[in-house]
Amino acid sequence: MFCIEVENLTKNYGSVTAVDDISLTVKSGLVFGFLGPNGAGKSTTIKLLTTLIQPSKGSLSILGIDATQDPLKVRHKIGVVLQQPSYEPTLTVEKSLEKYGMMWNVPKPERKKRMEKLLQDFDLVEIRRKRNEDLSIGQRRRVQVAREFMHDMDLLFLDEPTVGLDPSARRKLLDYLKNKVSTGLTIFFTTHILTEAEYLCDEIAIINKGKIIAIDTPEALKNRFGKEKTIKIHLLKKQQVVKSLLSEIKDCKVEFNTGTNITIHSQQSELVLMRILRILNENGIDVDDLSAVPTNLEEIFLKMVEENVSSN
Amino acid sequence: MYPVIRLVNRNLTISINPAFLLWQIIFPVIYIFIAGFAYSSLIQEVPFGIKGLAYPAFLASGMIGFNIMNSTLVSGIIIWNDRKYGMFEQIMSGPFTRTNYILSNICTIGIIGLVSAGLIAVIGYPVFFESIDFNFLTIPMIVFAAITGSVLFGSIASIIATKLRSSEGFNVILNTAFLFFAFVSTAFYPAEGAPEPLRTAFYLNPLTYLVDVIRAGIFGDFGLFVFVEMGILTTIATVLFIIATKLLTKLDF
Repeated sequence: MFCIEVENLTKNYGSVTAVDDISLTVKSGLVFGFLGPNGAGKSTTIKLLTTLIQPSKGSLSILGIDATQDPLKVRHKIGVVLQQPSYEPTLTVEKSLEKYGMMWNVPKPERKKRMEKLLQDFDLVEIRRKRNEDLSIGQRRRVQVAREFMHDMDLLFLDEPTVGLDPSARRKLLDYLKNKVSTGLTIFFTTHILTEAEYLCDEIAIINKGKIIAIDTPEALKNRFGKEKTIKIHLLKKQQVVKSLLSEIKDCKVEFNTGTNITIHSQQSELVLMRILRILNENGIDVDDLSAVPTNLEEIFLKMVEENVSSN
Repeated sequence: MYPVIRLVNRNLTISINPAFLLWQIIFPVIYIFIAGFAYSSLIQEVPFGIKGLAYPAFLASGMIGFNIMNSTLVSGIIIWNDRKYGMFEQIMSGPFTRTNYILSNICTIGIIGLVSAGLIAVIGYPVFFESIDFNFLTIPMIVFAAITGSVLFGSIASIIATKLRSSEGFNVILNTAFLFFAFVSTAFYPAEGAPEPLRTAFYLNPLTYLVDVIRAGIFGDFGLFVFVEMGILTTIATVLFIIATKLLTKLDF
């Protein structure tokens, strides 16, 4: 079953098209990552999906409900952690959670129970009586994310939820989310940190300039776009002859960075590597260090966005 | 629980704090009991319809209207804070409509206005005890004034909050507007005897109509003009409420 079904969704602000004819589907019970550079249209898409704004064109079904026709029904079933901080400055952490639960009509005994559990799960016990205005950015973000779990939901939208969190809190949050997904929750997740997307997401869409340029699983994306590998060589000393020797090798792109550092990109990295080693050996050139860097999502992302920009 | 009630609950929790309550009580107490009695050596009696009122009684009744206006600042502050701290967007992405949000603000200021009016009436009771003329219209007129005044001044504060993003701008405009409302009115002194331009200015100010209606209720002076003033109050409150609602509805994210 699909949690989100979007077809030809477009959002115009005057002459600017923030979201340009996107179509996507998100299956229930998984984490869907939504990646893109700043200003790509991620937050506008989230605002459309969470019914905060109306589309200029296209259809939008959330949890089987037509979101343009019945936005309130959609909002009863979703949770939203927006990119910008949201808090009531004068309330304490525990009061924030308690009041948020009340706003979602969670019965009082259940509110109390959930609040205590979330204070534990998000390491908020020590600051439970601190006012929101006195918290650090990271603590406030933790409260904001924790608060969303005060109510039940089928689908959770998280717009860069780990901004401001330290690595340990970030990992804890990602693990918490993974655990929630295992109980049936679906998450729509945007982030700038691609290692997070790689760690958490079952499926990923990459958006640039309002258009989706790829949708697939992280592994499939790597296989599709990540055949090229990077070989990095550090020579013991600068040798002019290396440039002419290596430029003879086919099926690769060689970059001479500082004279002793050489970077080689190739889709046939094993073959190219063997050739390089042979040439260096035959010419008595000493190598200080050599590494073949596996392709990660970040490289794919950068490459795709770069290609998308140049093709436009 | 209905969405509006849940939002009112939340609004009251975030706006009512010890400092606010203290301010709501201490400020009028100082005015009524210190300024009221101190100025009574200068103003022995204030003409009011066919009666003459002692100045502390006149001031205490004016303070009810003043406090209703003052407490409705809360409405603007709630909206402004919600926008500044991201809660407006957060609430709108939850199980609420914009109408729920607007109605909850009106209910909140209505409650605060009513409680505030009741509080000052109780505090001021000893000073207007002798002049009070309890009848079947006293309570309804005070309640009418509290609700209409709350909606009217709450709408003004809401309009300012929806139009301004910077805290300096918001504070300066709100305080300037409310300073004019407070002092260019009949809350602290009577219109009779004031220079003509000032008298006219008094009647360009809705607080004047508000305190006139409250005084009429307390001191039992129901001339035709009081009912005209009630009509004017209702009209201004309705128009401002519609404008505030339209502006809130159009607020984008």
